[in-house]
Amino acid sequence: MKKPDGKVVLLGDMNVGKTSLLHRYMERRFQDTISTVGGAFYLKQWGPYNISIWDTAGREQFHGLGSMYCRGAAAVILTYDVNNLQSLIELEDRFLALTDTASTDCIFAIVGNKVDLTNEYALLLERADESRPEKPVTSCISTKVQKQVHLDDAVALYKKILKYKMLDEKDVPAAEKMCFETSAKTGYKVDYLFETIFDMVVPIILRQQAEGPPQTVDITNYKSAKRTKSGCCA
Amino acid sequence: RAMVFVLSEAGKPIYSRYGNEEALSSTMGVMMALVSFIQSGDNAIRSIYSDDRKLVFVQQGPLVLVSVSRTLQSEQQLRQELLYVYYQILSMLTQVSITRIFERKKNYDLRRLLAGSEKILDRLLNLVESDPGFLLGAVRCLPLPASQRDALGALLQKAITPNLVFSILVAQSQLVTAVQERAVIEECRLEPTDLHLLLNLIGASSAFQAGEIWTPICLPRFNPDGYFYAYISYLDAECTVCLVLLSTDKESFYAVSDCKKRVEEAMRTQGSLQVLSGGLQSPSYSVGQVGVPGYPGELPPAAPVHQRQLSSSPSPELEGPYCSEEEQQRLFDLYHYLHSRIHSTSRPLRLIYHVAEKETLLAWVTSKFELYTCFSPLVTKAGAINVLTKLLRWIKKEEDRLFIRYPPKYSTTPNPGKGTKGGRPDGAENGFFAGL
Repeated sequence: MKKPDGKVVLLGDMNVGKTSLLHRYMERRFQDTISTVGGAFYLKQWGPYNISIWDTAGREQFHGLGSMYCRGAAAVILTYDVNNLQSLIELEDRFLALTDTASTDCIFAIVGNKVDLTNEYALLLERADESRPEKPVTSCISTKVQKQVHLDDAVALYKKILKYKMLDEKDVPAAEKMCFETSAKTGYKVDYLFETIFDMVVPIILRQQAEGPPQTVDITNYKSAKRTKSGCCA
Repeated sequence: RAMVFVLSEAGKPIYSRYGNEEALSSTMGVMMALVSFIQSGDNAIRSIYSDDRKLVFVQQGPLVLVSVSRTLQSEQQLRQELLYVYYQILSMLTQVSITRIFERKKNYDLRRLLAGSEKILDRLLNLVESDPGFLLGAVRCLPLPASQRDALGALLQKAITPNLVFSILVAQSQLVTAVQERAVIEECRLEPTDLHLLLNLIGASSAFQAGEIWTPICLPRFNPDGYFYAYISYLDAECTVCLVLLSTDKESFYAVSDCKKRVEEAMRTQGSLQVLSGGLQSPSYSVGQVGVPGYPGELPPAAPVHQRQLSSSPSPELEGPYCSEEEQQRLFDLYHYLHSRIHSTSRPLRLIYHVAEKETLLAWVTSKFELYTCFSPLVTKAGAINVLTKLLRWIKKEEDRLFIRYPPKYSTTPNPGKGTKGGRPDGAENGFFAGL
């Protein structure tokens, strides 16, 4: 059977927009999604490689499964909602430990989604629109909310993750490169996020392929090898 | 319709069918007071009858379920409805984990774990009240020529992998075929209740329509404490035909996904999707087909009860005055009433002829089948029996097309004589027995 070459896992609290992000990237559109059940598997052709993407359920009900979906992962995308501080805190409290089963050279990305809801984003649009001053953007700003989580908070979390994984900052991609702010609704930086991750996963795939099958298979092989040996002796 | 509440023993709201649990917390408090007051006298509250309402209480472990209803449904039926709700909660969390959670923390808010699942329970309750299959303990199946159903069954029988225990093919919430692991069926059979819960879970969420889903699920009638791992994927772009594969090994996603590819491939060569969409488009059965002209109204849901087999029941097309939703609901309420009279614990009946306000109903139960029919109000007793005889003769003739009678089996436990071929022989045992 043709197995996928590398694995990317989306983790994060419920309602932060994991499914929407993936949907925006794969289907090129945004639609209301329904709370994910368990995990959903997708395959993405990236150059000569088949990258598997697991979109996991953020609900606590499925918490116990996280480590299963993360097994051997080459990249983990930790997602939070920039308007919900708790969703960032949950990443450290609840989701980080699930990545223990990921590949040892796994890369981490921290993604703040739903930036379209913040006033910062409205300002950003306004600046882009300055060439067309006839457009009234100010009315739009009033409906926006003050962003709750800033990029610095994500960077701080990234450094905590490195500490947790006992990784040296020199050996991994820089925090600034691995913290993203996106909007699945408008498509803002969604392609950039996934394409950056996939490009980084390719060298990991090559390394994994060079090293042979992952550890889990080794154990079974070891067992059956032992059995054949005793069979020989008997 | 019936109002349904679920609360914890500590009186914490878990689910309410209508309205917001927070706003209803005082109501739930009163209910819990009633439950514990009766409990303190070493007794259990079962129901309260008022002039126009019935309140039915069910306690299952640390959960209390309450139904408040003004319909014709009997206490027994309302109790059954609450049990369905309880089982659906188990299908997501398992009994053992609910017990453990409340042992550790009496006032735990179970909504944390059920967040996002309210829709599943809402849909279940709507189905229980409108799908005769729930009343009859039978799963609605797609009428299909026996040869085509067998071909699909054979196809599922071939696409297997170690630890696979159930393969189920569904088209628009109607069962097409279900194949079971041989060793599993020896001890148990796939309960219609479990199938109802599984199909409801899939139908309740559009989350299954993208990608390939891999999720734990408990079949509470099979085993309330263990999880199966369910692979769920639609086979067509319109999301009408769905393949469900249940495995006992949570690491077997890739192997099971491969089974789906084989099923998909074989179905393509056999043109099965066209067969199924043809089956979906042609009506299940109608008055005209049976050849009993002259009687307005529609034919009944009929369900033969095959002991130790997968019970299945096709539903007739509702015609004439029963096209509107209200009229259908009224009819099902009447069927509910007949069902409760027939299955009354104090005075069970085999045949009931009931003249209601707008129609005449006839229900008949034998060891082989259970039949509910509805006639125009002017029908005579002899006329009704005559139609019934014709109907039964027609059903007998069409039996193989209308019902799933003998679900096929397969064997996925590796043959010990052949040694270890490509599988995980230890996993097969561990996976399955750990599941029990």
